[in-house]
Amino acid sequence: MKTQLNTNTPKTKVEKEPALKGTLASVLFLGFFLIFTWVSVYFLFLNRL
Amino acid sequence: MHMHKYEKIWLFFGIGSLFVFLAVLGVGAFAQGTQPPSCLTTIDPEKVDQTPPFDKPGLVKTGDNEYQLNIVASAFAYTPNQVEIPKGAKVTINVATKDVIHGFEMAGTNVNMMVEPGYVSSYTQTFDKVGEYVILCNEYCGAGHHLMTAKVKVVEQ
Repeated sequence: MKTQLNTNTPKTKVEKEPALKGTLASVLFLGFFLIFTWVSVYFLFLNRL
Repeated sequence: MHMHKYEKIWLFFGIGSLFVFLAVLGVGAFAQGTQPPSCLTTIDPEKVDQTPPFDKPGLVKTGDNEYQLNIVASAFAYTPNQVEIPKGAKVTINVATKDVIHGFEMAGTNVNMMVEPGYVSSYTQTFDKVGEYVILCNEYCGAGHHLMTAKVKVVEQ
């Protein structure tokens, strides 16, 4: 009887992290844009007091 | 729950800014007493012309370097529409409307109010610079809305 070599090594599922670098960059860009506009309007208000 | 590291960063950033803005709002409202220009004083909009101080609109001296500027807004004019204010005066502007909702914006200053029938809108402003300011209506009030203006001159004492 032939012994069969078990070549099927148990497959480990490699879960790839999604690439979110671009998303992080755009979220932060939008965030800093909002903060920049808010602070500009606030300083305009202080300037006109 | 598994969350990506970046996702945690922007959630922290977003929720953090929410709390910063809420804190700014809270300090402004409860510690510094900021309020909308029209939230306390009411007036009968049909009797604006008979109700003091709007029966004699204009600039009134109320104290040392302190003034009250009472203005009646109606379609499509402000009464009075030419006012002279001495430089450095601290002026409390009160505006009431006889008919519809009007706006009251002094271009180039922080004075910008909505004038609603039934309410007196007030804002206090110190005028430190000599010059001319245009008051305009920034709430659409009818066919003559674009003609609704007035002028304030800040002059040397």
